[in-house]
Amino acid sequence: MTARDAALSGADLKESAEIDVEDIATSGPSNRELWCIRVASIIFVLGAWEYFGRQANPLFASYPTAIARSFVTLIENGELIAALITSLKTLVISFVLGTVIGLVLGLLVGRYRRFEASVDWIISALYSTPKVAILPLIVLWLGLGAPTKIFLVTMTVIFPILINTIAGVKNVPAQLIDVGDAFAASERDIFLKIILPSAIPYMIAGIRLSVGKAVIALVVAEFFTAISGLGALITKYGNMYDTATMFVPILTLMLLGVLLQSGAKAAEKRLAAWRFTD
Amino acid sequence: MARRIKLSVENLSKTFRVSAGRGAPPSLLPVLRNISFQVREGDIVSLIGESGCGKTTLLRIVQGLVARDAGNVKVDGKPVSAPGQDRGFVFQQASLLPWRSARENVEFGLELRRVPADVRRQRAAELLKLVGLGAAGEQYAHQLSGGMQQRVGLARALAIDPALLLMDEPFSALDAQTREELQAELLRIQSKTGKTVLFVTHDLDEAIYLSDQIVVLGARPSRVKTIIDVPFPRPRPPLSKLRGEPRFQQIRDEVWELISQKTAAVA
Ligand SMILES: Nc1ncnc2c1ncn2[C@@H]1O[C@H](COP(=O)(O)OP(=O)(O)OP(=O)(O)O)[C@@H](O)[C@H]1O
Ligand SMILES: [Mg+2]
Repeated sequence: MTARDAALSGADLKESAEIDVEDIATSGPSNRELWCIRVASIIFVLGAWEYFGRQANPLFASYPTAIARSFVTLIENGELIAALITSLKTLVISFVLGTVIGLVLGLLVGRYRRFEASVDWIISALYSTPKVAILPLIVLWLGLGAPTKIFLVTMTVIFPILINTIAGVKNVPAQLIDVGDAFAASERDIFLKIILPSAIPYMIAGIRLSVGKAVIALVVAEFFTAISGLGALITKYGNMYDTATMFVPILTLMLLGVLLQSGAKAAEKRLAAWRFTD
Repeated sequence: MARRIKLSVENLSKTFRVSAGRGAPPSLLPVLRNISFQVREGDIVSLIGESGCGKTTLLRIVQGLVARDAGNVKVDGKPVSAPGQDRGFVFQQASLLPWRSARENVEFGLELRRVPADVRRQRAAELLKLVGLGAAGEQYAHQLSGGMQQRVGLARALAIDPALLLMDEPFSALDAQTREELQAELLRIQSKTGKTVLFVTHDLDEAIYLSDQIVVLGARPSRVKTIIDVPFPRPRPPLSKLRGEPRFQQIRDEVWELISQKTAAVA
């Protein structure tokens, strides 16, 4: 199981070097102490930002209290909520689509060698293509509206999930498949009762990776197609040289990313509970 | 006492094709040659032989996990060639499904048979109790010690109520004390359930202590060298006590002799 865990964290780290704050805080100083340090650090950084931000030209930088004021304004005039809803729509549709396609395709490619041979080259090719680079082409096909955005974000979401799911299926320990065979399990039962549960941790690692990428793809799509959503807000206030207000959608996107990440993590703890017991 | 023949292995042969690297034609590795023996109902029979002689292969052929080249395997007189729930398998590494609790692992085979959940649950509880794990049902595999995992593996195999229990060195990865504990447990459980057991081991004492008969396999490609009867009546005293008996030493020497003498190569 340790080799398996190592393989898993390998998959996790392959594409993002994010540090998992919670996982590290298991030994040594107490949790309470660590949280005190963390809060102090946040206060210090915000304070420094406030202090130096006020000295700087408001065109080039802003500071927390100014951003907070802009935030209230954007909430009051409804702009932020409207933009958030537009962005969330694209994100949710694309995420559901990308996850379903990635998981199903990954399970099939991982299990069936013939199917793998017929599609693995397409997967490699598309995986290596920077999706943003083909955006002009997608615009030609699908126009400047929602379909283009959904297409781009979905394509971005699919691959980390697909690649991880394939790895998960291929890494099912042969002994466990043996157990299914020995007990005369049908192919369907082997798939559902052995391969799927064994691959779930990999799948969730893939979903966690794709969350961050999805938010980036969303903003890119909103910049370069019909300007809409949070990306549009950034462009709008950037063009108006209102830096403080421009920070509001940026911070909202950041929060969105963090929220989705922790959602994925919570799902992991539920779906792969056995990996979190000691 | 003429008891029915539960398992009959007849003239079984197996040669593996081992790939010899890129381009090269596969080389042939003959593992089993013309193996025949029988197991009577309610007996424990051990297969013993040096490492690599093909014990696991033989057991996997009986289970139907590996295809044989020639010969027959009959359970209750009926030829078998695919896996079936008439045979229960206990693995060397317990091979529990790590995302399932001990109880859910025991239920696995019953689930495949679409046994209703409440019946499964009750049966699993009985079996966990039988193997001495009445309280550990909700623990995950990695929360159990090696010995406990093997107990779950045994309960999982027993849950489907197989005619024949196939055990592949199930205690070899355990420390000496736990091993002796589980050997005694196996004898107790076997006498209670009356199961017929085919048990692979390379531990002489284990083979003698557990078995009614010992099938001694020669070096690869292995044939049956001898089949030795172990006459100790059941229930048997603890292994430590049995070891003191002159007859025990006698059998031990005999088997040891057979295993260690290299077979004259027969082409
Ligand atoms: N699937 C396979 N393909 C090729 N060769 C195999 C395969 N399975 C086993 N062998 C070979 O067959 C021989 C017998 O293996 P087997 O596992 O049956 O031995 P064993 O008696 O169980 O050994 P041990 O006591 O070490 O468990 C070995 O040389 C092994 O390398
Ligand atoms: Mg073996």
